[in-house]
Amino acid sequence: MLTERDIIKRVQHLTVTRFRVWVRQGWIQPLAKTEQAFTEADMARAALIRDLEDELGFDEDQVPVLLNLIDQIHGLRVELKTILEVLDDLPEEMRATVKMRIERRKGRRR
Amino acid sequence: MADDLYSVLGVARNASAEDIAKAYRKLAKTLHPDLNPGDKAAEDKFKQVTAAYDILGDADKRRRYDLGEIDASGQERPQQRYYREYAGGEDAARYRSTAGFEDIGAFSDLFGDLFGEGGPRGARAGHRFSMRGQDAQYRLEIDFLEAVNGAKKRITLPDGGTLDVTIPAGVAEGQVMRLKGKGMPGMGEGGPGDALVEVLVRPHPVFERDGNDIVVEVPITVDEAVLGAKIEVPTIGGRVFATVPPGSNTGKTLRLKGRGIKGKGGNHGDQLVKLTVVLPDRVDDNLKKLAEEWREKHAYDPRRKLREQA
Repeated sequence: MLTERDIIKRVQHLTVTRFRVWVRQGWIQPLAKTEQAFTEADMARAALIRDLEDELGFDEDQVPVLLNLIDQIHGLRVELKTILEVLDDLPEEMRATVKMRIERRKGRRR
Repeated sequence: MADDLYSVLGVARNASAEDIAKAYRKLAKTLHPDLNPGDKAAEDKFKQVTAAYDILGDADKRRRYDLGEIDASGQERPQQRYYREYAGGEDAARYRSTAGFEDIGAFSDLFGDLFGEGGPRGARAGHRFSMRGQDAQYRLEIDFLEAVNGAKKRITLPDGGTLDVTIPAGVAEGQVMRLKGKGMPGMGEGGPGDALVEVLVRPHPVFERDGNDIVVEVPITVDEAVLGAKIEVPTIGGRVFATVPPGSNTGKTLRLKGRGIKGKGGNHGDQLVKLTVVLPDRVDDNLKKLAEEWREKHAYDPRRKLREQA
């Protein structure tokens, strides 16, 4: 578990003020509201927001839009991964059927 | 620890391995502690040079140093961990959004309800994007006396909802009131925005406002003007009696202390009564006669100043 201080120390160019704004905006969410406990994922997310603002030049209004899209993409990826894992567990002949049908359908769309 | 190992050895960044070795040996010869007994500075410098050569003299370490993978002391530099490495994991689950996946689910009768917020993982996979709601702006037109005395008003919102607004006494035209949390709802953990209500004050037929003072124009008769009188005057707090002193001309202003708007911190305004002398609607013979006599005996020239100045 990481504290606010850990994150600020380890993410370059991050100040307390800046980080707290992000938390207040809900861009970064502590594990529990009462205590400021964060994870490695939060730290990486803070570095992402910093890159969006500092390196890529997005301004504060644009960041939530980007985060929203990024969060949706990861939502989709996890859903897709779940499906693929389940398909992978199916008996061999069913897997072959699924695979064939997916290929056929993709071929048709092309 | 010096930042740039090349400058410690005094060589260029693109120096050959041979040049680096040569530079090192030259420095080592002059700085070696056994050749400089008791010279602490030389010893420190020697350590630095040796440490630099440890890295630059080793082709692999030099390459990693050049790439920034290790720092000048040979330590691994912490690599930035990208969010994508965590985004699929349990720690980032609260950020992932499956909002808007319902239409994907709609393509499948059997599996449809597995996706989106209605899915079995809904609680975890729901829309966790957070943003504070927008501020909503409204205009509220109120009566003059409501602005002066304060009031409770209800705004009907475009969506049919209502918003109760308490107007503080003495609110001024154009003043904006902020109602915390009464704006548009936020998303996720983000709170709602505020409602900003701009107050427009309808003018009153009698009262006018000048700061915290109330100005009223009150007509008086000729006899009241000449002889003085007690007259009834409207104020924002109801009718009161005011004393018109004898000889009050048009334009004379009476000040009714504390009858104005209650300002902040007990700073009450006054009511200013502007007098206007008014002739009766119909001038009868009696009055005519009085005026004729008056002209004969007491002629006066109220326009003398006017002539002198223009």
